[in-house]
Amino acid sequence: MTGMDAILQGGLQGYLVVALLLFAIGLAAVLLRRTLLMQFMGVELMLNAANVALLAFARFRGGDSQATVFYLFIIAVAACEAAVGLALVIGLYRHRDTTDSDRAASLKQ
Amino acid sequence: MFITFALITLLGALGMLLQKNVIVAGLFMVAAFFGVAGLFVLLANPVAAALQVIVYTGAIMVLVLFVIMMLNSHEEEKAQSSRPVQRWVSVALVTALAFGAVKLVLASPGLKALAQSGAALPEAMTLQKVGVTLFADHLLGFEVAGLLLLAAMIGAVALTKRNL
Amino acid sequence: MNKYYWLIPILPLLGSAFNGLLGKRAGKGAVTVVGLGVVLGSLLLAASAFFAMKGMPDHRLVLNYGEWMATGSLSVPFGLTIDPLSCTMMLVITGIGFLIHLYSVGYMHEDEGYYRFFCYLNLFVFFMLTLVLGSSLVLMFVGWEGVGLCSYLLIGYFYETDFAPDAGLKAFLTNRVGDLGVSIGMLVLFAAFGTLTVSDILTQAGHLAPEVGFGVLTFATLMLFFGATGKSAQLPLYLWLPDAMAGPTPVSALIHAATMVTSGIYMICRLAPVFTLAPITMDVVAWVGGATALFAATIGLVQRDIKKVLAYSTVSQLGYMFLGLGASGFAAGFFHVFTHAWFKALLFLGAGSVIHALHHEQDLFKMGGLKSKTKITFITMVAGTVAIMGFPGTSGFFSKDEILYLAFLKSPALWVIGVLGACCTSFYMWRLMALTFWGEPRDHHAHDHAHESPLTMTLPLIVLALGSLFWGFWGVPEAFGGHFAVGEWLKPALTYGQTHAAHGHHAGPAVLLAVISTGLGLGFGFLGWKTFKNGPAPELAFAAKFPFVHNLLLNKYYVDEGVELYLLRPTRWFGNLLWKLFDVILIDGVGVNLPGALTRVFGDFTALLQTGRVRNYALSMALGTAVLLYVFLK
Repeated sequence: MTGMDAILQGGLQGYLVVALLLFAIGLAAVLLRRTLLMQFMGVELMLNAANVALLAFARFRGGDSQATVFYLFIIAVAACEAAVGLALVIGLYRHRDTTDSDRAASLKQ
Repeated sequence: MFITFALITLLGALGMLLQKNVIVAGLFMVAAFFGVAGLFVLLANPVAAALQVIVYTGAIMVLVLFVIMMLNSHEEEKAQSSRPVQRWVSVALVTALAFGAVKLVLASPGLKALAQSGAALPEAMTLQKVGVTLFADHLLGFEVAGLLLLAAMIGAVALTKRNL
Repeated sequence: MNKYYWLIPILPLLGSAFNGLLGKRAGKGAVTVVGLGVVLGSLLLAASAFFAMKGMPDHRLVLNYGEWMATGSLSVPFGLTIDPLSCTMMLVITGIGFLIHLYSVGYMHEDEGYYRFFCYLNLFVFFMLTLVLGSSLVLMFVGWEGVGLCSYLLIGYFYETDFAPDAGLKAFLTNRVGDLGVSIGMLVLFAAFGTLTVSDILTQAGHLAPEVGFGVLTFATLMLFFGATGKSAQLPLYLWLPDAMAGPTPVSALIHAATMVTSGIYMICRLAPVFTLAPITMDVVAWVGGATALFAATIGLVQRDIKKVLAYSTVSQLGYMFLGLGASGFAAGFFHVFTHAWFKALLFLGAGSVIHALHHEQDLFKMGGLKSKTKITFITMVAGTVAIMGFPGTSGFFSKDEILYLAFLKSPALWVIGVLGACCTSFYMWRLMALTFWGEPRDHHAHDHAHESPLTMTLPLIVLALGSLFWGFWGVPEAFGGHFAVGEWLKPALTYGQTHAAHGHHAGPAVLLAVISTGLGLGFGFLGWKTFKNGPAPELAFAAKFPFVHNLLLNKYYVDEGVELYLLRPTRWFGNLLWKLFDVILIDGVGVNLPGALTRVFGDFTALLQTGRVRNYALSMALGTAVLLYVFLK
């Protein structure tokens, strides 16, 4: 299939393009938004983009169940990261009364 | 079908990026995750789709929304010092990344070959298959993941205690 | 027996080590025994070596004790050369050295640093023996430098005063300037002959092509002579010797009269064939020697410190020795070294005895009338004075007149200079004697407490006096009916390796010249005695009538001041400039501070990256990853 066709009809390239665009948007969220929670959501988005790419490859390689297992682990790790990260955000808010990541810059030179 | 779900996902993500209100951004995120779940179904992996909805949207995003509402920070605060350089560099970087990546994907012959060879739809993933693989081949990983979750739990509790 | 002769220099070294390291704890008695014992041991071994050498066919004994340096074409063994020249010096060093060690026992008795004194003195004997016995120029140079070191240590012995250490430093630095000449001379000789062993150099000396030989040898010998002016206190490097009188009197006697200052003459005698091949150098040697002889003698005429008079006298007498050498009288010059060692050591030790008697008074104007109080010192000093002025029959008479005769043969002007110097010598010596021993004592308190010195001090004086009077018979020249035995004795050493000995019979008015010079000398001596036998009044009158001349002489022709003004001050200024320019600006500023400052600036600049903002770090990471991706996927 040619490029655009592949994308539009759900070929491998299509899924990968979606994943890459999601990743880019997630990266943009981290870099361009100042609220810590927005940045956190961007990180989650990036993780999801990776998941999409993973499972797309799995499907086009014959549907290996190991990919799903890997996906499960990724979710587990994401959950842990979410818990701890949000706990840190709460801690920062209690300390500095802000969720602006730019204000949490006391390690600057 | 693919286009629909792809658009849901991407538009949700974009919405999250561009929204000023954090709560609304979170809701856009939820929509994006649903889109992703749909994509998983199209990828012959209903298990993953279910997990996505249950864990990601159901647990993680709910947690995030809880925290947003607890901290009462709906609006984005005023910037301390506007830094146009950083903003433009970031935008440039991201667009470059996006375009570059897409072009790469489209131009790659290897991917073309892979797409063609795997064009046939495989069997749908079943929970049984996943479970067997998980408990037979990756038992250690499973246990470690469990430990990790335990550590995260303890960590979250410890970090948010008022007096240690 | 041969294999023990290495102990001759090593024994004093061991003695020095003992005295230096353990002397303080061992006590004065042990130090005395060790200090004197090692020198006595060396003396006995030297005597044995003397007989061994006499038994050899060409009066030459060369002993090698292993290789020191062997690289390329240079081979320097630990070797001793025992021939008439070095043997005579060796016996003088150990013999007169032993007498002076004995004298020091009495003289330094009350001093706290007794052990230190003998440590340095023994060390000096070691180095001096190395200098004369070394079979190669390298060993000789080791001794050369070493005696310079010991001279510094001993001049600055009273280190708590402020002028003694300065004097020691002046001696050492002036010698260092001369040592440069010796080093260059040695290097040129090595380049010319390919070896630094004296025997080999002398053997090859005649075989150098004349054109090459002349220039190269002249340069080398001039450099060596320059070094000799430093060590033997000739113009221009004589300035340290008068200041060296700050050291204890036995030091002045041993080092600055009998042995160290004669090293220059010894070196030239050692390399006599080489010097003979450089007639320009010989002229320089003779004229510098003659000029120094007269120059120093005039300064000695008005000095007030008894030791300073003797110091300038030494410089003057050394000038006579060089005059003799330059006039091709190597044996004559060396004979004067020998006789001078006896009577100058005697005069210094006698002066020391006087100083000791008058409780450290050194100003002639404050002495007087001692002849009744210190009889032995008086009589022995008369013997010394008589020898130095060249009274007929004394050792000084024969050695000095031989030199003056040879000087006349070279150039009558040199003879006139020499005779003038001799007149001054007689005058100032009798002035010294008169002011010290005759007339009314000018410091009654010191005079009343004056007493003769102990036996350890007077015994050496007696021995030296006998030697000063009677050693002359070793060198009675042909004109007086003798056969100049000392010349015969030294010939194997002075003409080693020469196939044709350039020696002819002198024909000339030797007797007439001797009569003139001796007569003038006696006359001026008597004049000196008569003028001053009642005190220094005539000198004060002279100073009042001719203040310019008197001040000029008293202030040593203002040479020291000139050196300070034109030499030292510019050097210090230059050094200061270098410090400010190179050290402070270049090395400290550019070398040390600049990298530091640059590092700090760079650090401050890169610290700007540490904003503390997560977003910035995320951006950097993303940028980096993008670059990596680009590179890898290219």
